[in-house]
Amino acid sequence: MGLLDATHAALRLLLSGDAELWTIVGVSLSVTLRAMLIAVPVGIGCGYLLATLRFPGRRALIVLIQGLLASPTVVVGLLLYLLLSRQGVFGQLHLLFTQTAMVIGQVLIALPVLIAFSLAAIQGADPRARETAVALGASASRIGWTMLVEVRFALMAAVCNAFGRVVSEIGCALMVGGNIAGVTRNIPTAIALETSKGDFAQGIALGIVLLVVALGVNSAFAFFQGESRR
Amino acid sequence: MSLLAVATLDKSFGERRLLSIDALCLSAGEHYVLTGENGSGKSTLLRILAGIEAADGGVGHFGERRFDWWPYPNWLRQEVIYVHQQPYLFHTSVAENIAYGLRARGVEASQRERLVAAAIAWARLGHLRQTPPQKLSGGERQRVALARAWVLAPKVLLLDEPTANLDAESRQQTIDLVRAFCGPGRTAVIACHDRDMIALANMRRLHLVDGQIRQNSAPAL
Ligand SMILES: Nc1ncnc2c1ncn2[C@@H]1O[C@H](COP(=O)(O)OP(=O)(O)O)[C@@H](O)[C@H]1O
Ligand SMILES: [Mg+2]
Repeated sequence: MGLLDATHAALRLLLSGDAELWTIVGVSLSVTLRAMLIAVPVGIGCGYLLATLRFPGRRALIVLIQGLLASPTVVVGLLLYLLLSRQGVFGQLHLLFTQTAMVIGQVLIALPVLIAFSLAAIQGADPRARETAVALGASASRIGWTMLVEVRFALMAAVCNAFGRVVSEIGCALMVGGNIAGVTRNIPTAIALETSKGDFAQGIALGIVLLVVALGVNSAFAFFQGESRR
Repeated sequence: MSLLAVATLDKSFGERRLLSIDALCLSAGEHYVLTGENGSGKSTLLRILAGIEAADGGVGHFGERRFDWWPYPNWLRQEVIYVHQQPYLFHTSVAENIAYGLRARGVEASQRERLVAAAIAWARLGHLRQTPPQKLSGGERQRVALARAWVLAPKVLLLDEPTANLDAESRQQTIDLVRAFCGPGRTAVIACHDRDMIALANMRRLHLVDGQIRQNSAPAL
């Protein structure tokens, strides 16, 4: 099948509401949304505490988190695989090759991004913002909330960046998900493995979906970054 | 009668000793201009008095109550408000900025709205209610910040060069608001070199030199 024919077939798949295709898209979005729902509050909370509290080992922790930003997702997957496999520490939970395992993997990948970005956002905030909140008599929790609201655009940029990273990552999803059709087969694993079996149309169709999602998230990222610098 | 007094107060930045004050008395119903050269420590002093900058040591009195400057006591934050030279406005709305301290004090919604409306009228900000704070001019920001402080009725108001960087009209409006702010039972310290501010009635003079306060009991002019 030529590339042109394959693209044609891909568009037909997209428009015909192909069940298999949209199940794969559904797995991707559902896993990533659940991962973000967990990672966003935890990541932003940790970023805020790291920016605000002074404790021994803080600098080392920041360096470690910034190092984790660059960790290959397949290594995260390997680590998680070892923990979740039958002989692993958490083997009894029988989580390997489930969506839950994929969610955990994506949380682990998203966290360093969210923590590092929100740390930078809060450290980059105008020092007068905190001083004004303090001077007006705000409690510690109100000050925290005020600071997060003041840097909300930078935080939204962090969320978009983390989303873009996990929705398109393949290494970890493949290792701990296993690409099981209808269960853990998501867009990246389907593109990589099904295309190699010769199903170009589905690969191209999924590629288009992923591209649209990534473009949307990235434009949102650029928009929020622009807003946060105003 | 002394409202807020410094018995001692020390502050150094690194090797440099910036402030070593051994007496400063702010009386209820009196208002003070704080003068001193650039870099003499006026802002630092006001920030320590308001508890947003750490002092190295020292003791103060609020009425009869004695306290350390650092850690700054929380109860004192309810009485003392500091306004930055270039006030920071939260990226919300003019009304929400003015309501901020009321929310922090747990004032309930209907009373809060009433007080915010009064503060908006007091600072003549009615026409700016809907304007995003970031779009306001320097003078308008200063007025929002003054309204945000006024609405809390602080006993001690600390203003850091409120008329610097303002055009003539905004300057006059700000001076008028400062005059309206001052009253019996309250005190204000205004770091400034503005002759019209110094000329306000009941304005006394504090001069900061070599880290110490020269307090003149005579009126400023
Ligand atoms: N955080 C800081 N670290 C080091 N030096 C500071 C800091 N804040 C202020 N200073 C120094 O203290 C001096 C007094 O500053 P400031 O209180 O702003 O003076 P003023 O308001 O009278 O112009 C200045 O020389 C300034 O550089
Ligand atoms: Mg100053």
